[in-house]
Amino acid sequence: MTNSPKTAGRINRLLAMLPWVIAHPGASIDEICKRFGYTRAELIRDLNTVFVCGLPGYGPGDLMDASIDDDEVVVEMADYFSRPLRLTPPEALGILASGKAVQSSGSGGEALDRALAKLERTLLPAGVEAVVVDLPEPPLVPELRAAAADGALVRIDHTSVASGERKVREIEPWSVFTTLGNWYVSGYCRSAKAERVFRIDRIRSAERTGEAFEPVPAVRPATVRYTPSDDDTHAIIRLEPSGRWVAEYYPVEVLDDRDDVMTIRMSVGDPAVAARLLVRLGASASVVDGEAIEQATADLRERIRARYAARARND
Amino acid sequence: MQKVIERILNLLAFLLTVDRPVTADEIRHTVAGYDRDSDTAFHRTFERDKDLLRRLGIPIEREATDVFEVEFGYVVHGEEYALDDPGLTDEERAALALAVQAVGFGGQPAGQEAMMKLGGAVGSLEGTELGADLGDQAGTVALAFAAISERRLLLFDYRDRVRRVQPYGLVHRRGRWYLVGAEVGSDDVKVFRLDRAEEPRVGDRENAFTPPHDLNPADAVLRQPWDAGDSPTVAIVEFDADVAWIAERELGSGAAIARSADGSIVATVEIAEAGAFLGWLVGFEDRAEIVEPTSMRERFLVMIEGS
Repeated sequence: MTNSPKTAGRINRLLAMLPWVIAHPGASIDEICKRFGYTRAELIRDLNTVFVCGLPGYGPGDLMDASIDDDEVVVEMADYFSRPLRLTPPEALGILASGKAVQSSGSGGEALDRALAKLERTLLPAGVEAVVVDLPEPPLVPELRAAAADGALVRIDHTSVASGERKVREIEPWSVFTTLGNWYVSGYCRSAKAERVFRIDRIRSAERTGEAFEPVPAVRPATVRYTPSDDDTHAIIRLEPSGRWVAEYYPVEVLDDRDDVMTIRMSVGDPAVAARLLVRLGASASVVDGEAIEQATADLRERIRARYAARARND
Repeated sequence: MQKVIERILNLLAFLLTVDRPVTADEIRHTVAGYDRDSDTAFHRTFERDKDLLRRLGIPIEREATDVFEVEFGYVVHGEEYALDDPGLTDEERAALALAVQAVGFGGQPAGQEAMMKLGGAVGSLEGTELGADLGDQAGTVALAFAAISERRLLLFDYRDRVRRVQPYGLVHRRGRWYLVGAEVGSDDVKVFRLDRAEEPRVGDRENAFTPPHDLNPADAVLRQPWDAGDSPTVAIVEFDADVAWIAERELGSGAAIARSADGSIVATVEIAEAGAFLGWLVGFEDRAEIVEPTSMRERFLVMIEGS
């Protein structure tokens, strides 16, 4: 017999439901179910539990009293459970940060502002705005969100972050979301005939075509983390101390790390991504092995050099 | 599970009403649900129940039963148990519930338990999707939050050194959580990336410090990576027409933009940390070019040459 997370969840909900019901005698079963996410059967089971618990002695005068009369619930003899339990730090952070994220994105309202001010007053010391969530919405987020809700086909002018390729695409937007500091729209791309995720800050314009599609119900946001694929290009890269941050920042494999020199294996979907990183690292990194990436890096250096040389000639 | 829940509710009811430290032995003989177990079974069950209650946030303290400190027992102090009621209206609860539904940490919604403790919410949440994710550092961020809320020190390993920090604030920006605080013995307000803080732990003492009253954590964390540094240089950079809109969006309001007829732009921007700016500029490949100052142009050309 173990105390499973399910047991903890049930007790947590009981200890949240009881104070509210005690403070609102005669509340309807429906309202309690809605507030605390109960099904009717679950609520009745929990009320039946309350009814057989209480204080030592465990006689009629010691047990809590829970009664349902005409769909109205009354709990008595349970004063010790009349106050809700304090929030744990993860719970307090979770609700405060969630509220602040929505507030920052601009889609909250006055009720949310008031709620957050009240929570901050009770959860944090006065004086400093101790939790700040900065999640500004780039342009086109509201338009894409509305198109997803309406099931409206959208034509987007998109520039790929990896390849820099610009393309006008027709997409069926499913979901708009933000993670790791960027906003994305996921959906079915009719041009690519596949599911795709696009960074919204790389969409220059978006307009409805007038055509509708059948909205996809309750899509979970697609993952945007790098996922390895068989088509990836690889390189073995040597990092000087000033380039070590790369290993913390990117999903790379550390092959060797001694005498201040780190050797990593990097895998990318498009060599251009690694080329930009390598150029940026300057003398802090060098390619040990990986022809495609080495070539892409040399090409990029040459293109930048050529551009700067042109101005120098004109001056 | 039914018996477990009954036993735990009985235990908690007893602890909340008895108002003095009670020994495990007294609990065993008083609270319904325990008395029939063997010694070993009792202790195992009791430890598990205690752990579960603590995980839910119930402050079960171990204290001496009398001044001689011979015997120890368990006590729950009512004022530490109960929520400090923020006095939310149902409209405010509904707004919070929508936010909790829309925001997650590492793919998991956070704050649903909090929502229940605050009285739940009525109204429909159907159709609300998880729209924002605040990263997978929830554990560390929650520890920092606990330290901030009780003004305890936060200790962690950071760049090969143990830091003892007076934590003032948390800022989520550009997809990361930052801690704003000062190391013990220093007045300098510093910014730490929490994803690089290892083995975070909270100090023992409550109210260990007073935060500076004029601090705004949001201002302490850089808005652009090239904002760090003391003596900014004014740079003039040209961006080609096909990437001009990207540059303009990313530079934000800090840059002055001049537009040409062909769609290209010339941006004038203050740069305090050139390294970060030049790194960002590489992302534009050969479709951007530093016009001035010459020193920054040269530095960029040295950088792109590599070794």
